[in-house]
Amino acid sequence: MTGPLLCLMRSVSEHFPVLVILLPLCGILLCPLLSWIRASWGKRAVMAGLFLSAVCAAMQLGQVVKQGEAIHYWMGGWMPPLGIEFVIDGVNGIVVLLVAVISFLTALYSSPFQPHNRQKWFQTAGYYVLIGFLATGLLGMASTGDAFNLYVFMEITALSGYGLIAIGEEKGPIAAFRYLLTGTIGASMYLLGVGFLYAATGTLNMADLADRLSGLSDSPLVILSAGCLIVGFGIKMALFPLHGWQPAAHSYAHPAADPMIAGIMIKVPAYGMLRFFYCVFRENSPVMELFFQCIGIMAVCGILYGSLKALRYDTYNKILAYSSIGQVGYIALGFSIGNFYGIVGAVLHILSHAFMKTGLFYTSGALKYRYGIHETDEMGQIYRKMPLTGGTMTVCALSMIGLPPFAGFFSKWYLALGAIQNRQYFYVAVLILSSLLSAIYFFRILEKLFMNPETAHEVPVVPTEEMAEGTRPLPSGKFELPWQMMIPLAAVVLAVIGLGLCNSAIVNEVLRQTVEEVFLQ
Amino acid sequence: MILESMRPTLAAGIPLLAAVVILFFGNRVRPNVREAVTILAAVSMTCVIFSMIPQVLAGNQYQAKLWQLADGLSLSLRADAAGMVFACIASVLWILTSVYSIGYVRGHHEKNQTGYFSAFAVCLGSAAGIALASNLLTFFVFYEMLTVATYPLVVHYRDEKAKASGRKYLAYTLISGQLFFAGIVFIYARYGTLEFIPGGFITAGSMGKGMMALLFFLMILAGTVKAGVMPLHGWLPSAMVAPTPVSALLHAVAVVKAGAFCVLRVVCYVFGPETASWCGGAAVLSWFAAATILLSSLVAMRQDNLKARLAFSTVGQLSYIVLGISVLAPYSIAGAIFHIVAHAFLKITLFMSAGAIFVTTGLSEISQMGGLARRMPVTFTCFTITSLGLAGLPILAGFISKLSILEGAWTAGKPLFLAVLVAAALLALSYLMPVVQMAFGNGNAGQNCGNGHGDDHSHGKPGFDAAPAMLLPLVITAVIAVILGILPNAGIHLYDLAQMAASAVAEGGM
Repeated sequence: MTGPLLCLMRSVSEHFPVLVILLPLCGILLCPLLSWIRASWGKRAVMAGLFLSAVCAAMQLGQVVKQGEAIHYWMGGWMPPLGIEFVIDGVNGIVVLLVAVISFLTALYSSPFQPHNRQKWFQTAGYYVLIGFLATGLLGMASTGDAFNLYVFMEITALSGYGLIAIGEEKGPIAAFRYLLTGTIGASMYLLGVGFLYAATGTLNMADLADRLSGLSDSPLVILSAGCLIVGFGIKMALFPLHGWQPAAHSYAHPAADPMIAGIMIKVPAYGMLRFFYCVFRENSPVMELFFQCIGIMAVCGILYGSLKALRYDTYNKILAYSSIGQVGYIALGFSIGNFYGIVGAVLHILSHAFMKTGLFYTSGALKYRYGIHETDEMGQIYRKMPLTGGTMTVCALSMIGLPPFAGFFSKWYLALGAIQNRQYFYVAVLILSSLLSAIYFFRILEKLFMNPETAHEVPVVPTEEMAEGTRPLPSGKFELPWQMMIPLAAVVLAVIGLGLCNSAIVNEVLRQTVEEVFLQ
Repeated sequence: MILESMRPTLAAGIPLLAAVVILFFGNRVRPNVREAVTILAAVSMTCVIFSMIPQVLAGNQYQAKLWQLADGLSLSLRADAAGMVFACIASVLWILTSVYSIGYVRGHHEKNQTGYFSAFAVCLGSAAGIALASNLLTFFVFYEMLTVATYPLVVHYRDEKAKASGRKYLAYTLISGQLFFAGIVFIYARYGTLEFIPGGFITAGSMGKGMMALLFFLMILAGTVKAGVMPLHGWLPSAMVAPTPVSALLHAVAVVKAGAFCVLRVVCYVFGPETASWCGGAAVLSWFAAATILLSSLVAMRQDNLKARLAFSTVGQLSYIVLGISVLAPYSIAGAIFHIVAHAFLKITLFMSAGAIFVTTGLSEISQMGGLARRMPVTFTCFTITSLGLAGLPILAGFISKLSILEGAWTAGKPLFLAVLVAAALLALSYLMPVVQMAFGNGNAGQNCGNGHGDDHSHGKPGFDAAPAMLLPLVITAVIAVILGILPNAGIHLYDLAQMAASAVAEGGM
């Protein structure tokens, strides 16, 4: 390689943390203009931005693993605590990669859902701008080391989320409005919590906050702020009993964006909660005590509530949405266990559940796209016509139940191991009960898929209204779906199997050092 | 000595690979090509497993450590004596059931044959994995794979009845599997290892007696459910809705034997005889097993459906194995391991006969079978021989295993079990002999019904026996059952392997 190129590479590699966020942002900014010139260019710009962002995220994670220490990136060269700092270590490095990969896959997956009418370029552009902003917000939330900056990205995420839910199905706008109200409360609670902390310490940088908080263990301000943060993050991650907005939002969002909304929009706040409590409050024992108790109760109730509630529905998206409430409970359970395996289990579950749930929502979108199927009762024998969709559904469902050798089993394994090391046997019982309940509702879906008699589907129904006006007929030909949808489905299956089989590499190479040194000093 | 080798990996990997190939290409190629994949995989798996026998007999073990499956635990396979016994019968019987399956599903015009053969291959791959797993996590992974892969076979007909039994099957196996999972996690958290060691790695007294007993039952539950020990046998008779080769697989090869093998691994390689008897778990288990042996025979007598009668007979025979293990004497453990072999060949012959009768004549109830032996002489000869073997008559396979279990019960000072075992042998005669008597007696069943489905093309000549693809395997298994009865070490030294395993357990437990 020639000298200048190497030089360029090196200088680029110093800026990965910001590039990960800026590249999609560039795509978004170019998107409307390019769309105006040519309808398909705009979406390609966003996809390219997300793809490059995923590449940067992967290389950045590689750097972190190789160096064995966190990357600290000072935005614009301003020193913390005044400047904004991005901190990338093993745990959020992998979360950033996850977000970038799933965002890219979802952007690709969305493409066939867009109207192919040239007059409607603005609609396509708008959709891709929202997807891009959602990704940017989530990437920012996962990367930042600054409490207020996290709020900014949280709002970016939420605003684009409102849009994507509102443009969904018939009841979308109502679901979006509900999320808007609840989500705003959540964000305000977070802001309030950060405000209290700022009042107590006078700083917003997380590392700096942690240092200054160590002397303030009994300050009521700090305890109050912890309460606000639990509620704030709890609403954003749809943790029981703060989940009210979630089922409707996940059920009625735009079918193409739903995988991302359900898969990662509730995971990144969960990561945020982990980061805030273990890295900022870590030495403050009264707060942590409160945190362990609150989160433990919320997690257990959420796991049971979500699983029981999912049993009651026959609408595919509803089942998936309630199952998410339970699964977020798993993650929170890991936080409240709080030892090495508990945290590792929680982080692994963030990853594995993101892929499983995204995969299941991909299949849901595919069924809507191809045959307009919403109800599980209509799924009979559909796997014959859509083998990849049926296969993805099976793999992801088995993984959700927690059967080996898929990803879901291993996160459950670490959670149970952590709980037993802490002698919290009750948590193990809850995990088992929840697995069995999810086995009931997922096997019920699989039973319908494989065993119900074939329901007559009018040959490709056009699923959403915007498509009804589109001019393009649904794909006919060799494959069950357009390739843009097949690739994400296949990728998710591979990820669920790969995460399961290679989990110990992730645990030992990527997570171990960070969890031991940063989260559990 | 431990030899690093790829062979254990191949043994479990070949069927799984075959399953993937069948699943993806099964519908694109002709059925003959698809079935050729099954047979090829079965034969090569058998060759791989047999190639390990000489070294294992010499006291060495093949080991394959693949990669870290979870933090601190690797996916590793090791061929030891006990595992080899199970792997050998699973692979040999896979060849035979495959041949038989081809005859059966074609003769019976089953639907979804691709999925059927694919799930079959996964079952066998998991069975090999279970046999060769060297730690509990690897074992559990394959055990749950077996659970899931059997489900599509149980619900093969996809009607309401199949759905109901599928649900029942899942309820039993998943619940017990999850409790097994809890037990495994607990052991790992507490003892820091999950490696199988002959004689066990959990020392008596390392926990309270009550806790230990609780842990013992958590661990044993998964095995006893699959092995059908009463009162956990409920799923097994309902699973009879499946096609007959599946029943043969469930009852003779993979599933129930995996359960019995799970009991063996947990009792002898995790807890060890000493701890198992110290916590009282083994004694309770042996009483449950003894009760099952008697009760199941009584229930079997009342079944008119041939497959149902055989199902209850399986419940009883599997409890012989569980009883042999839980008596904890070296002889009885060897007998139990060898009974895995003996029962496999005997029961698979009986099931294949039942299937052959059903496909050829459409008869499934015993009371309709009067005089059927004249129509199907070869089938019923094999049926009779293996029935006698199941009752434990000398020079047939069941005799040696039962004798060893008896010897073990005697040396362990538990004469009451002797009485149970002898009574059970007589009961076995009493529920199987009526079938033979009926078939060889008067009556004209099978004379006027050409076959069950009104088409003669796919079967042998009317008036002769079953189709050759079904007849051949069941004759072979019957012959093997006789040979194993006379020379238990014939061919691949299965009895020696069983004894090696039992003495390793006994020495390790010292």
